[in-house]
Amino acid sequence: MPVVELNLNRIKKLISGNTTKKKIIDTLPFLGLDIESQDGDQIRIEYSPNRPDYSTDFGIALGLQGLLGIKKGIHKTNIKKQGKFEIKVDSSVSKIRPFVTGIIAKNGLIDDQTIKQLMNMQEDLHFGIGRKRKKSSIGLHDLDKISFPLIYTTSTREHSFVPLNSESENTIEQILSETEVGKNYGWVLEDSKNVPIIVDADGKTISFPPIINAAVTTVTTKTKNVLVEVTSLDQDAAEDMLSVVATILQMAGFEITQLTVSGKKNSTPELSSRIIQYDIKLTEEILGLKLSPSAMITSLKKCRLDAVQKGKKIRCIIPRYRFDIFGPMDIVEEIALGYGIDNLEPKLSPSQTLGEKSSMTKKLEIVSKIAVGFGFTEALNSNLTSKKILFDSTNRNSSQMISVMDSKSQEHTILRDSILPGLIENLSKNIHESYPQKLFETGTVFSRAKPIHESINLAGVIAYKESNYSEMKAILQSILKTGFKINSKTKTPKNNVSIFDNGRHSDVVVGEKTVGSIGELNSNVLENFKIRTSVIAFEIKLSGLIFD
Amino acid sequence: MSQVLHDIEKKIIDSLKKKSEQSPEQLLESTELSIDQIRRGIEWLRLKDLAQVKESSKVEISLGQNGIDALKNGLPERKLMDLIKDEPKTFDEIRTVLSGAGFNAAIANAKKNGWVKIDKTESGSKISIKEKPIETPEEKLISFIGDKSIAEEQIENKLALKFLLQRPDYIIESTEKSKTVSLTEKASKIDSTLSDSGAIDVEADVPPVFAARTHPLKDTIDEIREIFVKLGFSEIQGNLTQSSFWNFDALFTPQDHPARELQDTFYLENIKSEKPATPKQIKQVSTSHSQNWRYNWKLSESQKMVLRTHTTCVTIKYLAENKPDEARVFSLGRVFRNEKLSYKHLVEFNQIEGIVVGNNTTLRDLMGIQKEFYKQLGLTKIKFWPTFFPYTEPSLQTMVYNEKLGKWVELFGMGIFRSEVTKPLGITKPVLAWGGGIERIAMLKYDLDDVREFYNNNLNWLRTV
Repeated sequence: MPVVELNLNRIKKLISGNTTKKKIIDTLPFLGLDIESQDGDQIRIEYSPNRPDYSTDFGIALGLQGLLGIKKGIHKTNIKKQGKFEIKVDSSVSKIRPFVTGIIAKNGLIDDQTIKQLMNMQEDLHFGIGRKRKKSSIGLHDLDKISFPLIYTTSTREHSFVPLNSESENTIEQILSETEVGKNYGWVLEDSKNVPIIVDADGKTISFPPIINAAVTTVTTKTKNVLVEVTSLDQDAAEDMLSVVATILQMAGFEITQLTVSGKKNSTPELSSRIIQYDIKLTEEILGLKLSPSAMITSLKKCRLDAVQKGKKIRCIIPRYRFDIFGPMDIVEEIALGYGIDNLEPKLSPSQTLGEKSSMTKKLEIVSKIAVGFGFTEALNSNLTSKKILFDSTNRNSSQMISVMDSKSQEHTILRDSILPGLIENLSKNIHESYPQKLFETGTVFSRAKPIHESINLAGVIAYKESNYSEMKAILQSILKTGFKINSKTKTPKNNVSIFDNGRHSDVVVGEKTVGSIGELNSNVLENFKIRTSVIAFEIKLSGLIFD
Repeated sequence: MSQVLHDIEKKIIDSLKKKSEQSPEQLLESTELSIDQIRRGIEWLRLKDLAQVKESSKVEISLGQNGIDALKNGLPERKLMDLIKDEPKTFDEIRTVLSGAGFNAAIANAKKNGWVKIDKTESGSKISIKEKPIETPEEKLISFIGDKSIAEEQIENKLALKFLLQRPDYIIESTEKSKTVSLTEKASKIDSTLSDSGAIDVEADVPPVFAARTHPLKDTIDEIREIFVKLGFSEIQGNLTQSSFWNFDALFTPQDHPARELQDTFYLENIKSEKPATPKQIKQVSTSHSQNWRYNWKLSESQKMVLRTHTTCVTIKYLAENKPDEARVFSLGRVFRNEKLSYKHLVEFNQIEGIVVGNNTTLRDLMGIQKEFYKQLGLTKIKFWPTFFPYTEPSLQTMVYNEKLGKWVELFGMGIFRSEVTKPLGITKPVLAWGGGIERIAMLKYDLDDVREFYNNNLNWLRTV
């Protein structure tokens, strides 16, 4: 979950109403925000990825105003329309990054804290809805350093300009191969020969999206007026992103002015609200809450939406930046939030159904009971384990192994096809504990089929000096006999099993079917696991034997 | 003070009262206990200050190889005297019978005893009897020792012993350590017949033994499963390996969503599901994605096999296949995340998820089930906070107050499946879902601060937790 850092004094000021720090802290969770940590007035907040407007304290203040009842209803983005600012789209971008949109924000005050908040917002937008800048990315510029109209076009990789945080000109190629952002995000442009750039009327490059801005337009605490540009693979995604930025900047005290976008497929953003018709009866059906339509409207307004009753429906007005709202079910949630989740009384209706464990669970419980009765302690190992344990140390054949891709843990790379190697590893970790040691485990094992076959196995080990084949055979036969009335036999195997000693293991047979094997671990395996006592082991397949 | 005595102790005390100082071997005979029982009994009595053990060493004397020969055939000097009994003999004649060291010793000792005289003649030195040989103290000592082993202090003629010790291999000296047990004053006051027969030392320390047991995490899983069953839920099961279709697409997770990336989800290498779902299901899910998320949905992405990241794929598949009008079912088992292992993260952990379809399916009902669930677990201080899950709306999380940590801890999540999830799969009734990770609850229960402990299978922990 993404995190944003807030200062309580600053947010109290942003809310600009009668409230206390305590009230703010108590209310935050009911906006769906988790307080991760608090250090005096600094608090770190976790927010949901579907609410990028909460990536700044401005957005959170907007939400708090509603729930605290200080300001209710929609926070409308007022866009002044004037044709002075324009960006023209050159058709060469159409195959690389076809869409651009933007907005002008004027007469604002930017302090260090605001810059920090805006940077957090930018990072979150890039990572989340921007899909690591691939889908859409954003640039903020000092408006007063730019001559209009702008052109969104392409250049070769030899093109050069002074990028952000640099003092000298760099070619595109250099930026991609030498700077950190270039290395991190260069993949977005794939192998295209030409790359997108934004150039102003004086021919200055101001941005190389989605990688880096030019140094010349850097936003500082001296900046009064800002140009926001968003480039994207999808126009709606671009406007989603823009709407969040416009809302935040307006909340930060800027006046928002239109940026005219012209060019093939592109258009000037409207950022207009949407209407969702909401059926009043849904509130009771979904929440189990009898609310009057006017109470529903009040709740929606506390969530910074607008709503009007029209007969049996409520006409909800959704601001552009609330693109997380898809339909009526989202409106139900907004009503619940506005009403206050802590005001919802849980109610327990008696169940109309009788619950039951699965037959597999019931059978496995019997296996556990008997195994424990024989003095076996239950072990739990991972399904995802290592080649070393599963194959190398146990002399087993790895040709059919099933791997996962890019595991972050060396110990978890292969799906187990057998439970026994894990139990042997457990013995190996416990050589300093007193003997005898008896362990068992039931669990899933995997094999290749179309696409994967899963079955449940049972394995057991007995480790101590006098452990012997007959002891284990007797136990295994008794588990099957007393638990499931299954008679099992042991047969001299046709082939040797590499984990066992030659001549000291057998197949476990039920009827005509071989269901597993049992035997004495061979000395090479014991040596690999540094076990200095003798170990008898078995593994049988329970699927198809005691359940389907 | 009453003294509790073991039967072994009583037998030893009784025997020692009859004969005050005994070695363990002597006690073996007098008590008819085994040597182990006697050793143990002596040790117990000593710890209770009822017996004392004196350790002493004594020297035992027995005959060596030459001594045994002398016992049978006489000392070399005696053999010499027998040879010259009738007439004097030359040295050469004697050497044919007494050779080497025996010859020298015979001549030297016979001379020393004053038994013989030696005359030089033309045919060499001749030896003849000077005086009738009587039995020497050394000879007496040899017959006294005989084939026995005798304590040094029992030998009176120490000088004879000293002489024999100087001669090679006649006498073997061996030192034996021995113990003698005797009663203390305290013990002599005990009337062992008065203490209860069969009583044992109930206060003595005993070595620890360990019961075999099911895994503690499994116990918590079972407990939670029981509560679900009690609340009217039935268990359903599904595979740990799933197609991306059921793990993600059916749950309305767009194909470019960060959660679907390699760094969060385990994909199986080079394995795909040819037909992850029915053609109708695929078509409708595809349409829902394209319309709502506005992108080109690809079948190939949905065919990729993953280790399930939640149990929700099992419940949604159940709903899509059975389309029940009413149901309470749950799915429980391992789920996987490609995470770095840490004290709070595992790559593989257990999750449970219950769903309710049909009547009484409002958010308040779901909250009621939650509240009851936690009550059954013994957690009564709970509250609900809104949260976000990609496939439910509205979504809540339960916060449980942890007395020990002094703070609210997030446990299970819940919500109502989005219609974007249910509609394409032909599910028309509202579906409530709730669930979460089990290790978190087990950690509270077993007071662990490192979740990895559950999978270490450390016997010391398993045997004592």
